[in-house]
Amino acid sequence: MTWTIVVGVKQVPDADEVGIDPDTGRLDRANAPAVMNPPDRNALEAALELRDTVGGSVLVITMGPPNATIVLEEAIAMGCDDAVLVSDRAFAGSDTWPTSLTLARAAETLEADVVLCGEETTDSSTGQVPPGIAAHNGWAQLTYAEELEPQPDEGRLVARRDVEGGYELVAAQLPVVVAVAYGEFDPRPAGLHRKIFAENDFEPREWTAADLDIEDEVGLDVSPTAVGTMETVEPVERRSELVDSVNALLEPLEETEVVG
Amino acid sequence: MTGTETETQTQDTHEPNYDEAFDVIVVGAGLAGSAAAVTMAKRGLEVLLIERGSSPGAKNVFGGVLYTPTIRELVDFESAPLERYVAEKRFSMLSHDDETALSLRPGEWNHDPHNDSYTVLRGEFDEWFAQQAVEAGATLVTETTVTGLVRDGPQIVGVETDRPDGTIRAPYVVLAEGGNSLVSEGADLKDTESRENVAVAVKEVLEFPERDGVIEDRFRLVGDAGVAYQYFGEGAVGDAFGGGFIYTNADTISVGAAYRLEDAATQKQSPEETLNLFKTHPAVAPLVRDARTVEYSAKTIPEGGAESIPDLVHDGAVIVGDAAGLVLNNGVHLEGTNMAVESGYHAGRAIATATERGRRDADVLGAYPADLEQSFVVQNLQRYAWMQEAVEADRDLLFEALPRAFADASTEYFRMDRQPKESHAENAKRTVLDALGGWTGAAKLALRYRKVVT
Repeated sequence: MTWTIVVGVKQVPDADEVGIDPDTGRLDRANAPAVMNPPDRNALEAALELRDTVGGSVLVITMGPPNATIVLEEAIAMGCDDAVLVSDRAFAGSDTWPTSLTLARAAETLEADVVLCGEETTDSSTGQVPPGIAAHNGWAQLTYAEELEPQPDEGRLVARRDVEGGYELVAAQLPVVVAVAYGEFDPRPAGLHRKIFAENDFEPREWTAADLDIEDEVGLDVSPTAVGTMETVEPVERRSELVDSVNALLEPLEETEVVG
Repeated sequence: MTGTETETQTQDTHEPNYDEAFDVIVVGAGLAGSAAAVTMAKRGLEVLLIERGSSPGAKNVFGGVLYTPTIRELVDFESAPLERYVAEKRFSMLSHDDETALSLRPGEWNHDPHNDSYTVLRGEFDEWFAQQAVEAGATLVTETTVTGLVRDGPQIVGVETDRPDGTIRAPYVVLAEGGNSLVSEGADLKDTESRENVAVAVKEVLEFPERDGVIEDRFRLVGDAGVAYQYFGEGAVGDAFGGGFIYTNADTISVGAAYRLEDAATQKQSPEETLNLFKTHPAVAPLVRDARTVEYSAKTIPEGGAESIPDLVHDGAVIVGDAAGLVLNNGVHLEGTNMAVESGYHAGRAIATATERGRRDADVLGAYPADLEQSFVVQNLQRYAWMQEAVEADRDLLFEALPRAFADASTEYFRMDRQPKESHAENAKRTVLDALGGWTGAAKLALRYRKVVT
């Protein structure tokens, strides 16, 4: 039996291009072009490797504005079989709760056996969406997965998980949601002909909130996240002091218990 | 679940194949490549334009003047991202600590079309130019490096790239890969240029963070006006054979030096030292004072002239632009961008005609070199073919003795002391004549170089 593998990807500001304005010292995000969230590349590679082993298809999905099609094209160029753009003004202001609900419904509609996501997105870094998808659908979850071993005959996926102090091997029954550890699964380059196809001839399917029957369950109003206050911390003023000898240096270090 | 929008059947995307789907593959989306692409796309050809950078121009470090008579004909030039038009050309001889300069500010240059001479940032300009080709129907693929050509017997039938499944076939290939033409050389379509015929150029882009208007004040500019300063002599590039330059962009200036690779290798003169020497010359330092470096880059420029142009046409392929050595540097004129566009345009026309007639042999592409020979490109290169050698033979005189003699002569001529002007003039004249080898030497030199400007 082959697997239907769904990968969630997201468009984020290119962190390499987020410069620091030399005059104000502030981050300049406005000039950064939108690119695929880097950890998502690892998820795509993991998905393609699963397909190589088990057989089946890899479907990529993103929530975003119409121009987010570009990240879908990139995934198609890498080798994904088809792509869905979930785009609707109703999604505006959605936090991780309605976002993961949307992706969960989409994965269900696509009859996913496995859903793969990057560990987190570089523009918000909550890491909440993959577990959220699992929770909404009542599916198993495998987070921080460094290695994957599919066991299709048992309908099972085994993951080696990165945990503090070592690793653990966890087996989950399908359907399962996997968050792939950032940096694992080195993404393959796109083939030339696939790249030409993806950028010029491929059209993703487009779904709205209504297509997924969730138009009343998404957006800012149903997002439970509330930002309390923001605080800008001033850097501590540093004192510089010149000393003449090693002993003169050791003394204050001992006083401050830097050395014992 | 509603309707058919969420059908889960997938598209058949497994093995797309574009062999023979395009009429022509263009290698490199610089000026020559995009000019060829836009010319052919407008004639209805299916064009694949392959660029190794993340976007066209991303890899380009050119920092000079873009000459635009042909681009203006090819595309809607009004939307082009230009920095400034060239309102002043200045030719300056630098000795160790003297400057003798000639500055030209014809009023006509201030009016449209500004003598078709503009400074541009190639990262922006090339992206725009390639986009004109895309809008005309060409297909652009970036982040893809062409590594070789595909042959069927003598016929070139496609290219190989660095991507998986990276071979693609098409009837024609346009090689617009730039001065460092590894594909053309690897395929034995041209010889590797000797280092005497290659210049190394190093350039810094500088900004003035202190306040707005520094560029306008220092270079005496209003509005979109800009300058192109060229410098010669030992104060510009030390003992090497070449020159220094300053060009004004909208909010930055490009400062650099270019000299023969041969000199970089044998005179132990590094590009970095050379540029620092130039930037600290007393006539240059005030122009770059309090600037902050925002970009530092280096490149090579083919300067072999007419003799170095390879065979431009092969079975199934043509070579255009810098890859074909189409750069003119005779000291007064530094041109390559216009030649790149012109060659891409003529090559594109020849391939469009060949495609319309259903032929792909070298003969039918012969229109390209024939047209190019009739154009200003080859005519100009041939006109100045003698010059490289002449200047090389006279380099000590032209780059060291003469700049010093002119500076010393001006010092003498305008000297304030209690001697009569007649003796000052005599001293000044003698200084120059000594450097030139008397009246006979001066006459010979004038005769030798009259064709630079006449």
